[in-house]
Amino acid sequence: MIRFEKVSKAYPGQARPALNSLSIDIQKGEFVFLVGQSGSGKSTALKLMLREQRPSSGRVYVAGKEINRLAGWKVPRLRRQVGTIFQDFRLLTNKTVAENVAFAMQVTGHSNREIRERVPETLELVGLDGKGDRMPDELSGGEQQRVAVARAFINRPMILIADEPTGNLDPGNTVGIMRLLDRINRSGTTIVMATHDVQMVDQMRKRVIELEHGHLVRDQVQGGYGAQF
Amino acid sequence: MQLRYVFTELRQGLRRNLSMHVAVALTLLVSLTLAGVGLLLREQAQLTEEVWGDELQITFYMCNGANDRNPQCAGAVDDSQKEVITNALEDNRYVDKIEPESQEQAYKRLQALDVEGVSGPDPVVKAGDMWESYWVTMTDPHHSAEIIEAVAGLDGIDHVGDVHEVTGPILAAVDGLQSAALVGAIVLIVAALLLVANTIRLAAFARRREIGIMRLVGASTLYIALPFLLESLVVALVGIGLSGVALAAVMHFGVEQRLSSTAVTQWVGWEEFFSSFAIVALLGILLTLVPTLLLTRKYIKV
Repeated sequence: MIRFEKVSKAYPGQARPALNSLSIDIQKGEFVFLVGQSGSGKSTALKLMLREQRPSSGRVYVAGKEINRLAGWKVPRLRRQVGTIFQDFRLLTNKTVAENVAFAMQVTGHSNREIRERVPETLELVGLDGKGDRMPDELSGGEQQRVAVARAFINRPMILIADEPTGNLDPGNTVGIMRLLDRINRSGTTIVMATHDVQMVDQMRKRVIELEHGHLVRDQVQGGYGAQF
Repeated sequence: MQLRYVFTELRQGLRRNLSMHVAVALTLLVSLTLAGVGLLLREQAQLTEEVWGDELQITFYMCNGANDRNPQCAGAVDDSQKEVITNALEDNRYVDKIEPESQEQAYKRLQALDVEGVSGPDPVVKAGDMWESYWVTMTDPHHSAEIIEAVAGLDGIDHVGDVHEVTGPILAAVDGLQSAALVGAIVLIVAALLLVANTIRLAAFARRREIGIMRLVGASTLYIALPFLLESLVVALVGIGLSGVALAAVMHFGVEQRLSSTAVTQWVGWEEFFSSFAIVALLGILLTLVPTLLLTRKYIKV
């Protein structure tokens, strides 16, 4: 589903590359934690998966497409197959919960009938049944992140990329979000999640890919945050 | 495509950046009106040149030995001098037609004008006081100077009548006005372009969160850019409409009500107005849509 072949990425003006000959292969339906210290290259790897960046060398395949060869006009189609969640939720504060979720369908050309059907379904899936008319600032952090998950998942993407989705949440909400992501993963969606949350990674016992200074230092099935697992 | 969403965004965008849009529309109004006036003046200059150029002739008045202005005249022009003058005119490539006028014909024409002192039993002016002349029609009215240069100095020529000396400054003034209007229009067009660019930048900044989300969920570039393009189109149409009203006012109150009563020349009409306005409208749309297209590509790059 996602494959990096000797991928390096260097940013102009930086002495050291953000990624250095990284090779990883993530299969369909996997749940993968991407761990490492700040500056280890996690965010760059996620940006390459989203085709926000292009590799300096090597090849990146996402959903069967080599992103470096993908024409600009085909990028939106790729992104419809990749949902994204961020630490800061990135909700539109002038829209209700339902409108925020519907937004992802509206701007990708779905019909009103489809939107009317799928928005309540998805809100129910993420545990926000009955809160569609609320504004984002009326919700807790955990609920706002659920809205972001609903928005990322409403188009039923093949891959869900989560960049520190629990970074702003308390332990209770973190568990709730992780259960939700686990449920989405069990429906067949591949999940790649960058995180610093040691406890959560240790508890989940999923595949762990650890980066350090742009190098792959660990790729462990059912791993923990630290190498001792 | 969810057109309802696009139009909602359009309405919100127009409301959010209202002051900037008003500034762009007003700048477009002034710049397009100036451009339109420049185009109308160009049409007017062409019309005037056509009308005057066709009708105007150069007249070579020959010595009559009675009241000559040229001190070189030594009596009335003789046949050999007339032959030299005729040959010089016939050899000139800018001469189209030569119509000779005798003293008697000139006198009759003067009498026809019913001027005091010409008719009656004891006229002050007689046929002998008139000048025999050649009325020359040109192939190209711009080259009167070349013909005059070739003929004016010949023996037997008293003086030359060239109405281009009078019309020249008028046409030059029209040309000057046209240039001034077009220079003013260009300066304001640059201002309009910068304003459009600034408006797009502000609009993109105000919508940066929506744009970011749209890119991530896979909205197409066209879909993201469409509200910007429509916003610019609406502002362009307002500016073009206002400039059309301003130009129509210039035509109605300026040309129709004031100038058309003076029959100095043929004045521009509604046909010229519509052809000039079509160019102005096209210019207005290009002025707003081209920078919008270029800048939205820059700011919302997928």
